[in-house]
Amino acid sequence: MLSTDEILSTIQMLHSEHLDVRTVTLALNVDECAAPSADLLCRKLHQKIVSGAGKLVGVCNRIGRKYGIPITNKRLAITPAANLLAGHGQTAAIMLAETLDAAAQECSVDLVGGFSALVQKGISPADAVVMDSLPEVLSRTKRVCASVNVASVRAGINLDAVGRMGRIILGVAEATASQKGFGCAKLVVFANIPEDNPFMAGAMVGSGEPEAAVNIGVSGPGVVASALKRKLQLGGKLTIGDLAEEIKITSFRVTRVGELIGREVAAELGVAFGIVDLSLAPTPQVGDSVGEILRTLGIAKVGAPGSTAAIALLTDAVKKGGAFASSSVGGLSGAFMPVSEDAVLSEAAATGSLVIEKLEAMTSVCSVGLDMVAIPGDTPPETIAAIIADVMAIGVQNQKTTAVRLIPVPGGKVGDKVEFGGLFGTAPVMEVRNAGASKTFIDFGGRIPAPILSLRN
Amino acid sequence: MTTKFENAFVLNVLSDDHPGIVSAVSEAVARLEGNIDACSQTVLGGYFTLIMVVSFAGGVNSDRLTAEVRKAHPGGSDLEVIARPFLPTSFQAKEHRADRFVITVFGKDRPGVVLRFSRYLAGKDINIVDLFGDRSGDDFVLISQCQIPAGWDISMLQADLEEMGKELGFTVRLQHENIFVATNQLRLTH
Repeated sequence: MLSTDEILSTIQMLHSEHLDVRTVTLALNVDECAAPSADLLCRKLHQKIVSGAGKLVGVCNRIGRKYGIPITNKRLAITPAANLLAGHGQTAAIMLAETLDAAAQECSVDLVGGFSALVQKGISPADAVVMDSLPEVLSRTKRVCASVNVASVRAGINLDAVGRMGRIILGVAEATASQKGFGCAKLVVFANIPEDNPFMAGAMVGSGEPEAAVNIGVSGPGVVASALKRKLQLGGKLTIGDLAEEIKITSFRVTRVGELIGREVAAELGVAFGIVDLSLAPTPQVGDSVGEILRTLGIAKVGAPGSTAAIALLTDAVKKGGAFASSSVGGLSGAFMPVSEDAVLSEAAATGSLVIEKLEAMTSVCSVGLDMVAIPGDTPPETIAAIIADVMAIGVQNQKTTAVRLIPVPGGKVGDKVEFGGLFGTAPVMEVRNAGASKTFIDFGGRIPAPILSLRN
Repeated sequence: MTTKFENAFVLNVLSDDHPGIVSAVSEAVARLEGNIDACSQTVLGGYFTLIMVVSFAGGVNSDRLTAEVRKAHPGGSDLEVIARPFLPTSFQAKEHRADRFVITVFGKDRPGVVLRFSRYLAGKDINIVDLFGDRSGDDFVLISQCQIPAGWDISMLQADLEEMGKELGFTVRLQHENIFVATNQLRLTH
């Protein structure tokens, strides 16, 4: 029999602290849709998605009701579009993206990820088609998300691809200038892209994955912040280790919710249960913030000295609790720092306490990287590429996933605030220092060799 | 459940809460050379209650059992003791066809809340297996763990209960128990 305390604490977590399952992402291998004609390819792709994902939203809603927990987003991820586009040109790429958009809408899924290319060692013609069509694809579709992997531990950093992405990101911003460059919010540049990431915009299905699987992203910054505040209110002498323990326990509970929902959705859909991604994913809602956790840990201004140590503690405690809760942990599994989507981070960036360089430092000990960072629209492409190169280097040298989701806001100046709405929040345009000073480095092109990792110091 | 001997009773003891009640009841069962097959106790508002299934090899009857319990406890006349023959009920068989859910009810206290919800559940053949209610200030919380027979559409039950809650000014939720198991216990599901 459950105890009253157990029931009440779960009710508090679910309903007072607004824990939700952030995303149920159905991963589908669509490689069999390849066809010599773009028309046939798109017809097969549409049919494959509608038959594979048609039931997803209904099943999620019913299971969410059964357990009394909202499943906020239902999403799709596919094998990289570049796999389907071998032998095709940009017209086919745009048709493919529009087919994805329409099929996703038909299934009522929020977003579909996997308009992707993996170019860490070199760019194939199909990869080039995917990359070069991004401005048009991301301006003409609503639900399609794109990702490009430009670096890995084994390959190093493809500086040609990094340089190209600097130009492409500016192209996407220009193509969506009427939405303040919002197309860039649907494009992530990765090092060591995970094969099973459920979060957008970087979700795709990598090699070695099952034909179909359900991957889960849980939320939880608000729950962690509330648990810490409760612990602190109880008084007594607490050390930072006591707070890490509290985060660990909370992470266990949050992860279990994802595991329970994921297994049941997968069973109902008749597909494999993939992973739970432990990442704490903030929303613009007050309190549901990774920045708020840092403040609760005693960092008065996010970005101040101590921020990196605090985010390291947070990420590690989340992993420890989550790994005990589930044997199927995967994806990114760290702490997200999406500036626009997190009210406290957004405010810290607007007031200048949080700067791009500090976000980079924090990336080295948590997940993801520069996420939802708005920068001036006149930032040179080589500088954007160099920012990408820096974040990729952190990932490659530390054997972890890192990513960049920059939004050069057309016409935007430092200090402007850009409203993206909904879960995307408000982005202050952040200063890019030393803009224009990295051109020669990027213009060398080629590949930064894979690192030697045996000499660990 | 099965009992050690065929001559079995369900025994219920009510008293103000103090040390020694369980000891006295156990003493009485031992004196009659019986066996305790199952037991559960709770304390609420300073009052103690115990339910126990006991069985005997010899010819013990209800009157002798209750008298022995009172005799074993100093001031035994203060104990309310009831004993009746234990018969394995047919309800246990139904447990396998029911899923366990938790109903939580929160709001400003008023008379009739338990009545409204329990009457609804009874009408749907939903068995309450555990019930907790507590008034704190003007607020009342009611938590009921239930067995819901397979076949009911949970979303329809949720709609009924939520509507009833609205009428009474209460927030009502019906959730499968596994969300509570998963978030509190080492196992994922029951």
